[in-house]
Amino acid sequence: MTERAAQELPEHRSWGSETFRRLAAGKLNLFCLAVVVLYTMLAGYGEFVHFASRAADETPAYNVPNIELKYLPPSLLRSRIEPAEGAFPSAWEHFLTHPLGTDGLGRDVLQRLIQGTRIAFRVGIVTSLIAIPIGVLLGCLAGYFGGRVDDVVVWIYSTFASIPGLLFILAIAMIVGQGLLGVYLGIGLTTWVGLCRLIRGEVIKHKERPYVQAARVLGIGSARIMFFHILPNVFHIVIVTFTIRFPAAVGTEVILSFLGIGVKGEPSWGVMISNARLQLWQGIWWEMTFVTLAIFFLVLSFNILGDALRDALDPRLREDSAS
Amino acid sequence: MLRYTLRRILQMIPTVIGVIIVTFILFNLVGGSQARTVLGERASVQALEEYDEVRGFNRPLFFGWWTRTRALEDTNFEHHAGFWRTLQGAAHYPAEGNLASRVHLKPGETYEIPLAFDLREDVSYRLRMRYRTAPDSTSAIVVETKTVIDGVSGTNDLETRTELNPSAKWQMAEVLISPAENVSSRKIVVDVGGTDIEVEAISLRRGMKSPWNSQFTFYLLQIVRFDFGVSSSTNQRVSDLLRAGIGPSLALTIPIFVIGLFASISLSLVCAFFRNRFIDRFFVVVAVGLMSINYLIFIIAGQYLLAYRWELFPVWGFESWRYLMLPVLIGVVTGLGSSLRFYRTVMLDEMYRDYVRTAFAKGAGKKKVLFKHVLKNAMVPILTNIVVAIPFLYTGSLLLETFFGIPGLGYLAVNAIYASDVDVIRAIVLIGSILFVLANLVTDISYAAVDPRVKLS
Repeated sequence: MTERAAQELPEHRSWGSETFRRLAAGKLNLFCLAVVVLYTMLAGYGEFVHFASRAADETPAYNVPNIELKYLPPSLLRSRIEPAEGAFPSAWEHFLTHPLGTDGLGRDVLQRLIQGTRIAFRVGIVTSLIAIPIGVLLGCLAGYFGGRVDDVVVWIYSTFASIPGLLFILAIAMIVGQGLLGVYLGIGLTTWVGLCRLIRGEVIKHKERPYVQAARVLGIGSARIMFFHILPNVFHIVIVTFTIRFPAAVGTEVILSFLGIGVKGEPSWGVMISNARLQLWQGIWWEMTFVTLAIFFLVLSFNILGDALRDALDPRLREDSAS
Repeated sequence: MLRYTLRRILQMIPTVIGVIIVTFILFNLVGGSQARTVLGERASVQALEEYDEVRGFNRPLFFGWWTRTRALEDTNFEHHAGFWRTLQGAAHYPAEGNLASRVHLKPGETYEIPLAFDLREDVSYRLRMRYRTAPDSTSAIVVETKTVIDGVSGTNDLETRTELNPSAKWQMAEVLISPAENVSSRKIVVDVGGTDIEVEAISLRRGMKSPWNSQFTFYLLQIVRFDFGVSSSTNQRVSDLLRAGIGPSLALTIPIFVIGLFASISLSLVCAFFRNRFIDRFFVVVAVGLMSINYLIFIIAGQYLLAYRWELFPVWGFESWRYLMLPVLIGVVTGLGSSLRFYRTVMLDEMYRDYVRTAFAKGAGKKKVLFKHVLKNAMVPILTNIVVAIPFLYTGSLLLETFFGIPGLGYLAVNAIYASDVDVIRAIVLIGSILFVLANLVTDISYAAVDPRVKLS
């Protein structure tokens, strides 16, 4: 009996594996996923290096200047670029210690890039942890209760939406003070509006669905219906929003740090661009190039993944393929 | 139509109020007085007080009879004795057990608490002191203001003299001080009678003539008068700075906007025409690639390669239209990726509508359908996108203006942020937001004029 029932039912896949199957249909998507995983591992490694040097109470290797090795070109281009003055390690040693060259203070570009990845991930994750809960909570409340609650939430988000974005972020970062906290709050507190709108709209649609009405008839509390019944059904929006806002937050952090309002003393990508820009005029191009590439590949992978996830998670498309 | 317009205008008001509240919270409540940051650690207390007076920071936030004054800093004895350490005979005790930290004053002594500047004559002040005396004490403590004229000191008339009752329990004493006219009152004198007293906290507040004279009403009045105060870094009027900056900003952003719009709409039509062919795919890839390059990189690379290395454009400055060419080019290219994708989606959405199928069925050519039918119908989402983008033209482009030295509002804003110039930033943020609200209003009303269904919702 049970066997027959199992045979008649279509093959069941969990939500996660189904999403992955759809995502993996494109080779490019898999490649981008691999790139994101690689960056995540680098960020984790950077975090480890950062904390290890802090625990040992010493200047981390990526911040130790070594004037003798300044402006060392990338090791593969060693023979093609006339070496500047100063001592240089052997070609092999060069490859092992400074594969991507050094900056104007003789600090290793690769290590600093990894630290930049660490900061980019911190910003991407922390700002999401601020913005997504605000957006989801307000969106659910407004959509579910409607009426006065909805009016207030719409009022709040239309107010936030009217304020020019980058200026708003800069003003918050200025007021909170310099450093990463200002960047977190600046980006986090201003970028929840889009998500809030989407969630509100979706919740309004779901509110009238039979499953919600059934739950209401059963006497289940509003909070439970909102967060345990409706939210899982609109959660794909949160995931897609995360993949879209992550690269945007990274890009904003780069601009803030470049302007000197974000990170200080740590090699964020924005700080590196700001340093490398001055070197560029002297013909020292490698730091700028590698930072550009690092940002480009991370953001590109997230952009492509975001598009793919939007398609893979869209419930309408799912039902189509199931039928 | 008139009713709809009126309703829509009424709906706009809460958003404007919201923007005013948010900017107020951001810059007054959270930011507070930036006097210290702007004027530096060495600035005199008087200069700080003046800075606050000009900007209305030395008032209550929303409502209140009393406000802080810098004449006497609120003293918290937790870590140190504050000004009391300069007074002979006062001893500071740190907290122990359930006793808070406090200052001990000996009997029979007179202590002069120095004030940072003369108290104003036209208002009264309130001194609050939490104190207690030895348990068996009976003699009163006298608090009065003291004037210093030409180095000769003497107490002024009796009005400023208050006696405090001895009390073994902690007690809050309130002393009202009305500085007399034509004398400078720079000291508050505590005459300890025949008893030991301990002081736990002391604070001085300035009285307000009207409790409504608050930071919030000050801000509202500024908005109504369209006078946004004085920039703390350049000492020019903010409204003058804004007027000077708007021209260069628009000179930069309007060409970017117009050229960008034509470029992205025509490219999106090309994409829709050659849908899923090589050209379409190519532009989609290019658009995603452009979106993934950081804004900064476009500017730095453009300035370095095109202007500095290849000398096609001037590198920096704002002297003639030639100086605008490169920033405009960069602005167009950076915006192209996302807008091309947006307009392509809009066009393709329209392509599947029934009217398009009908047009094809009637035998209309692809070109005709695309340019005559699709483009016309796609104008509605395109127009929304355009109108909503217009207010952001006014803030200019922060980065482009900073990099190319274009003296517009973006440049002004970035410099104001470096200098913590609250008035300038607040004015730019506020005006930008209000323009955005107005643009939304215009969009909605023009929609309703075109499409009567809108009015019903």
